[in-house]
Order: sequence, then structure tokens, then C-alpha cells
Amino acid sequence: MFIEILSKFGVDWPHFIAQLVLFLIVYFVLNKYAFAPLLKILEERRKRIEEGQLNAEKIKMQLAEAELRYQEVLRKANDDAHHLVEESRKNNEAFSQREMERAMKESAAIVERARHEITSERNRMVDEVKREMVSLVVRTTAQVAGKILSPEDQKRLSEEASKELSS
Amino acid sequence: MPFPHILIASAELSAETPEFLTNSFLSWLTNSILVTALVLGGIVWMVRSCTRKIELIPGSGQNFLEALVEGFYGAVEGILGDKMTKRSFGLLGTLFIFILISNWFGLLPGVGSIGWGVKDGFLSLSTLQTPLLRPGTADMNMTIAMSVVSMVLWFYWTMQVTGPVAFIKELFGVKGGMTGPILFLLVPLFLFVGVLEVVSILVRPVSLSLRLYGNIFAGENMLATMINIGHLFHCPQWLTSVLSCIVPVPFYFLELLIGFLQAMVFTLLVLVYLQLSTTHEEH
Repeated sequence: MFIEILSKFGVDWPHFIAQLVLFLIVYFVLNKYAFAPLLKILEERRKRIEEGQLNAEKIKMQLAEAELRYQEVLRKANDDAHHLVEESRKNNEAFSQREMERAMKESAAIVERARHEITSERNRMVDEVKREMVSLVVRTTAQVAGKILSPEDQKRLSEEASKELSS
Repeated sequence: MPFPHILIASAELSAETPEFLTNSFLSWLTNSILVTALVLGGIVWMVRSCTRKIELIPGSGQNFLEALVEGFYGAVEGILGDKMTKRSFGLLGTLFIFILISNWFGLLPGVGSIGWGVKDGFLSLSTLQTPLLRPGTADMNMTIAMSVVSMVLWFYWTMQVTGPVAFIKELFGVKGGMTGPILFLLVPLFLFVGVLEVVSILVRPVSLSLRLYGNIFAGENMLATMINIGHLFHCPQWLTSVLSCIVPVPFYFLELLIGFLQAMVFTLLVLVYLQLSTTHEEH
């Protein structure tokens, strides 16, 4: 009865088998040439995206680590530089101090030496003036007295003139 | 109650059909088999042109197919789970795409409206008896073939996943974790429920095929009637021509929707049958 009803709807074995074969061909074609390769490529893409995300995460972490290292290096460099500057400033101050002291000592020595030279020059000049004055006194006395003075007179007159000039 | 004339015409070639189609080696070739072959050719062409050079960065054709497959795969995976989806996606995807294209093929101009029948002037028929082209889903041979393939694969996959013992236990076993004397009272009841379940499983291919065939064939008939509405009311020729262009338009939109819905319903029912018989093993 069921077959009879189906036959009233035009169902028969040859046409049923023909349609069955056609449907199975569609199933085969879509499965083999559409779904399988597309699902494979979708899976591959999904994996790549996952890998990309993992890599991005890794790169982000590495970047953060590098940033930390960079900050650490920068901080250390700053400290070193600060330390160097401080040290050089201290060295500079000590050097300046030393140089200043040395310069002051040298200048004091120069002043002392100049003073000494001035004193000795003055003494030498005073002695020379004295000698000139004594000689002048002797010559003047000889001209005034109109006679030639003996060596004893000359010696006595020189000593007296020297005493007078010294006082 | 006798079947409408057009139904008879769809089932067997009428006397108006040319002799070369009825009494030759082409007698196996019906209008629906021809359309199914055309749809098959269209699908092969589309698939090959879109997936000839599959690349990680897709072109427009590959992109379209990928979007279709990915969306549908996600929906199926949400219901069936990963394991069963990998097995059954080929069948479910094929059912949906093939039924949809076949249904919508029936809406192309000339399909179901050009053919052989009672002549009514030059290139005009008063009654179309044998259309030249008819969608495959409006032929019950095709809907039964799809139902049979679906149910055979459903049975095969169910046996693979659950095994025959668990399958029979699921059908006839007492549910609810009952123990003790009440279990013996419930055994006949659940045996009866199991028999009903077996009957419902046996009826599935019939219901699947009749639902699809009925909807699409009814739609074809309705469109043919709307196209011939002028003839039915004995209108003048010019008015018949105008009416045959205007009246079917809203029904074409309705049939577009029905074509999509029927493809969805057929596929979802097979999906649900698979889900009912296999997913309890997956969880």
C-alpha cells in the first residue's frame, strides 16, 4: 500500500536511483572540493591567528622586559654619570684649592724675593752713594785746603765722612 | 479525491509530451532529473571556481564560500559538538546548499511555466501539462533520496558513537534511574514507549520527504496558477498577459522565503535527530 501511494506521487525505482546518485555526487563534490579544503584553510587560519596572538603576547612581554632593562640601564647610567660629575667636581675643587695654595705660595715667595732684592739693591746703592760722598768729601777737602792729602789723611777723612753719613 | 492535473503531469509524462521524451533512451530523464543535473553542474562550477586556488588570504569567491561554511559550521557545532560536527557537517552542508539552490532554481523564469500542454494559440498553452523544467525538490524521488541518505547516515553515525547496545537501551530502557519493584512496573511502559520511538524513527524519512516535497510542489502549483490566472477567469489575451506578469510577483517573494525556510527545516531536523541520538554520549 505504501509503495502504491508513493507511485501515485511519481516515485519509482529508476528515477529514485537517478536522483539518489545525483544527490550523492553533489554530496561527494561539496565534501571533497568545498567543505574539506575550506575547513582545512579555516583551521589553518585559526591556528595562525592563535600563533600570532601568542607571538604578540610574547613580544609584548619581551618589550616590557626590554623597557624594564632599558629603564634599569638608564637609571644606572644616570647614577654613574651623577657619580662621575660629583667626583670630578670634588677633584676639580681639590685641584683648584691646591693650585690656589700653590699660586699663593709662589706669589708670596716672589714678593719675598722681590723685597729681598729691593733691600739689597737699596743697600748697594746707599753704599755706592756713601762711597761717592766720601770720595767727594776727600776731593773737596783737598781742593779747599790746597794741598795734596796724604794717604793717612785721606783714610781719616773717609772714616769721618762715613761716620757722619751713617749717623 | 483525485490529484490535481498538474500533479499527474509532474509525476508522469502526459500524452502531450513529445514522443522523443517518452519512447526513447531518454525516457529515464524527467524534467526534475534534468534540473537536478543542472543544479549539480552549477554547484560543481561554483565550487571549482571558488576553491581552485585556495589561499590563506581569500579572493571574493573563496571569501563568500568561507563565510557560508564558517557560519553554518559554527551553528552546527553549537548544537552537535565538535566531534559529531566533524563527521556530519558534509551531509548537513550539502543538504542545506543543495535544497536551497534547488528550491530557488524553481523561481527562475520559465521553470515550471514552459513546457507541453493544451495549445491555445501561437506559443501559448491554456493548460500546462508537462513543464520542461521542474525543481528537483518538487519531485518526491529526490526528497525521498535525500531522506534515505540522511537516515542511513544518521543510523551509521549513531551506531558509531553510541553502539547498538546503548542505542537499544536508550530506546527501550527505563529512564529516570528507577530501582526496586517500581522498575518492574515501568518496564512494559518503557517498552511500549520504545516501540513508539521506533515507529517515529521509521516515519522520519517519510515526514522529511513529504514536508519538503509538499511545500515546494505546492509553491510551484501556486505560481503556475497565478501565472495562468487570466485563463482561469477567461480574460482577454492582453489582460491575461498583463496579469501573468503582475499577479505572481508577491508570490515569488513568498516562495523565496519558503525555499530558504524549507532548506533550513530539512537540515535542522536531520541535525536534531543526530543531536538526540548522539550528544548524550559526548557530554
